[in-house]
Amino acid sequence: MLLENMSMAFSAIRANKMRSFLTMLGIIIGIGSVIAIVSLGDTMRNMFADLYKDIGVTQAYLSIGYWVEDVRQSDYFTLDEMERVKEVFGDEISYIDSNAYTSADATFGRTKIKFDYQGIDDTFQDVQPVNMVYGRYLTDADIKDRRKNVVMDTKSAVKLFGTENAVGKTFRTTVYGSVDDYTVVGVYRKELNAFQAMMMGGNSGNGSAYLPYTLLTWPNDQFYQLHVYASPDVNLDDFYKRMVAYIAKKKDRAPEDFYLFTAASEMSSIDTMMGGLAAAVGGIAAISLLVGGIGIMNIMLVSVTERTREIGIRKSLGARTRDIKIQFLTESAILSACGGIIGVLMGVGLVSAGSAVFGLKAVIRPEVVLIAVGFSALVGVFFGLYPASKAANKDPIDALRYE
Amino acid sequence: MREEEFVSEELIRLEDLVKIYDTGTLKVIGLKRINLTIRRGEFVAIMGQSGSGKSTLMNILGCLDRPSMGHYYLDGIDVAQMDQDELSRIRNQKIGFVFQSFNLIARTSALKNVELPMTYARKNKRYRRERAQELLDRVGIGVRAQHMPNELSGGQRQRVAIARALANEPPLLLADEPTGNLDTASTNEIMELFSKLHDEGTTVVLVTHEEDVAAYTDRIIRFRDGEIISDEKNEPCLRRQTQRQEGSSCC
Repeated sequence: MLLENMSMAFSAIRANKMRSFLTMLGIIIGIGSVIAIVSLGDTMRNMFADLYKDIGVTQAYLSIGYWVEDVRQSDYFTLDEMERVKEVFGDEISYIDSNAYTSADATFGRTKIKFDYQGIDDTFQDVQPVNMVYGRYLTDADIKDRRKNVVMDTKSAVKLFGTENAVGKTFRTTVYGSVDDYTVVGVYRKELNAFQAMMMGGNSGNGSAYLPYTLLTWPNDQFYQLHVYASPDVNLDDFYKRMVAYIAKKKDRAPEDFYLFTAASEMSSIDTMMGGLAAAVGGIAAISLLVGGIGIMNIMLVSVTERTREIGIRKSLGARTRDIKIQFLTESAILSACGGIIGVLMGVGLVSAGSAVFGLKAVIRPEVVLIAVGFSALVGVFFGLYPASKAANKDPIDALRYE
Repeated sequence: MREEEFVSEELIRLEDLVKIYDTGTLKVIGLKRINLTIRRGEFVAIMGQSGSGKSTLMNILGCLDRPSMGHYYLDGIDVAQMDQDELSRIRNQKIGFVFQSFNLIARTSALKNVELPMTYARKNKRYRRERAQELLDRVGIGVRAQHMPNELSGGQRQRVAIARALANEPPLLLADEPTGNLDTASTNEIMELFSKLHDEGTTVVLVTHEEDVAAYTDRIIRFRDGEIISDEKNEPCLRRQTQRQEGSSCC
C-alpha cells in the first residue's frame, strides 16, 4: 500500500513537472543553504584543526600585557630567564624560544627579495616537523655559536637562487643594522593548501627562512615575548596558569599583568564564531523551509481541488478516509523530500566546488544529509496535513459530481 | 440461520426508506417511503425524469449516501446507519460502480485502474495484477491493459470501468447511465456485456432514461417525484447478435 501510494505520488508529481519544481524551490533553497553552510562550517573547522595540528595546538605566546602602562626594563625577558623557565618546568615544555622574527631584503647576485626571518631553536622541528629535502636542519651548535646559517623552504630557495637545492649558497642580508653573509644549510618542502598559505603566509611574495634565535636576540639578549609549546600530555589551562604565576612572581608583578595568547583559546573562538554563523543560517533556513512548506500546502490544496473527482472515484471504489489522507500526505512528503534531495545535491555541489577552488577537503557528514532530507519530508507531512484531511473528508457524492 | 436462508434469496431490501435533503431553509423530500426488493441475479432498470428520485436512490443503493429514515439491507446487512469507513468497506466488497462518464483515473493504465478496488481490499500485488488482466480479457480489451484512459475510446473506457467494477467480485453491479456518453454501436456492445454478466449470475441494477437500454433488462422500475410509480417485469429483447440479425421485433 505504501509503495502503491509512493508510485501514485510520483506519477502525480511527474504529471505537473514545472509546478512541482517551482513548489519544491523553497525547500531546495532552504535545505541547500543548510547543507552548504553546515558543510562549509565543518570544512573550515576541519581545516583549522589541520592548521593547528601543523602549527601546534599546545602553543602560546606570553608577554607583559599591552594594557600595562608602566612597563619596566625587567618586564622584558632574557635568554637566562628563558633557560630557567625551561629548567623549572622541565618535561612539561616541548619547546620554547624568544619569538624572534624580523624582515629584511636578501640579495643574491642581482636578485633582491624581501625575506621574513623566524628565529628558532634546533628542537623546533620536534613541534613543527618539516620535510627536509636538501642539507640539514639547524643544529645545537648553530644556535649556541650564533652561526649565520639558515634553513628555508623550497619556494623561497627558488625565488632567491633559482633552484631548489640551495645548500651551501650564500646570500647577503641585514639583521638589526648589520650587513652579513648567511649560508643556506638546508632546504625543506612544505605543502600548504591555498587557504593555509593565505592564513599563514600573509604577503606571499616574500621569502621566508629560519635562523638561530640567538642571532635575532642579539645584541642585548633581551626580548619581549616567550613562545612556548606545552608538552602534548599536560593540562594546558593549569600549565599556563602556573607558568604565568611563576613569571609574575619572578618579575614582581601580578599574574593579571601578563598577556597569554593560546592557540586553544583561538580555536574555541573560531568554534564560537562558526556556531554563531550556523545559528544565523539555521534561522534563515527555518524561514525558508517555512515559506517552502506553505508553498507546498498551497499547491497541495490546488491539487486536492483539481483532483476532487479522482477522490470521489477512489471513495466509490472503497477508499477509506484514512487511505485518501495517507495518499495525499505521501504525495506532499515526497514532493518536499524530493526538494530536500535536490537541495542536498546543490549544497554538496556548492561546497565541493568551493573547497576544490581552495584546495580543501570538503567535509560532508552523512548524518547531516539524512537529517536534512528527513526534515524536509517532515515539513511535507506537516504542511500536507491540512490539504490531506480536506481531501479525505470530501463527500463522495459531491466529489463524484465535481466537474 | 433463518436469516441466512432469507439473505441468499434477496440481495437488496429497502424498508420504508425516506431521504430528505435539508438545505437549511428548505426541506426537500428526495424519496418517500420506498419499499423495494431485488433478488439475486436480477437485471433491473430504474427509470425516471431528472428529479424523480432515481439518482437519490442510486446513491443510497451505492452506499454513497445514507437514508434519512428506514432500512436498507444489502446482502443481509443493514447499512443505513453505518459510518463513512464502514460504508467504504461495503462499497469495496459488495458494490461495483459503472458511471456515465466512466470515471477512470487519469494517467493511470487500464490495468492499474482495474487493480484499484483490490488495492483498497489489501490484496497482494501479484494477485491484483493477474486478476486485473483476467478481467480485462473477460471484457474483451486485454490487449489494451497498458493503455492510459485518454488512449481509449468511450466504449473501451466503459469496458475498463466494468472490469474494475467486477474486481472484488461484488454481488451487486450498479450502473448509472452507463451508455449516456456512448454512441449507438458502443451502447449496444456495453449492453451486450451487461447482459452477458447477468447471464453469468451477476445482479445488475442500472439507471437510465433510455427505453432502448431499459429494454435489455428483465425488470423496469419507474420513478416520479420520489415514488415508485410502476414496477414491471420486462421480456428482454433477444440479445444474441445472430437472433437480432434474423429480425427480432423486440428492440
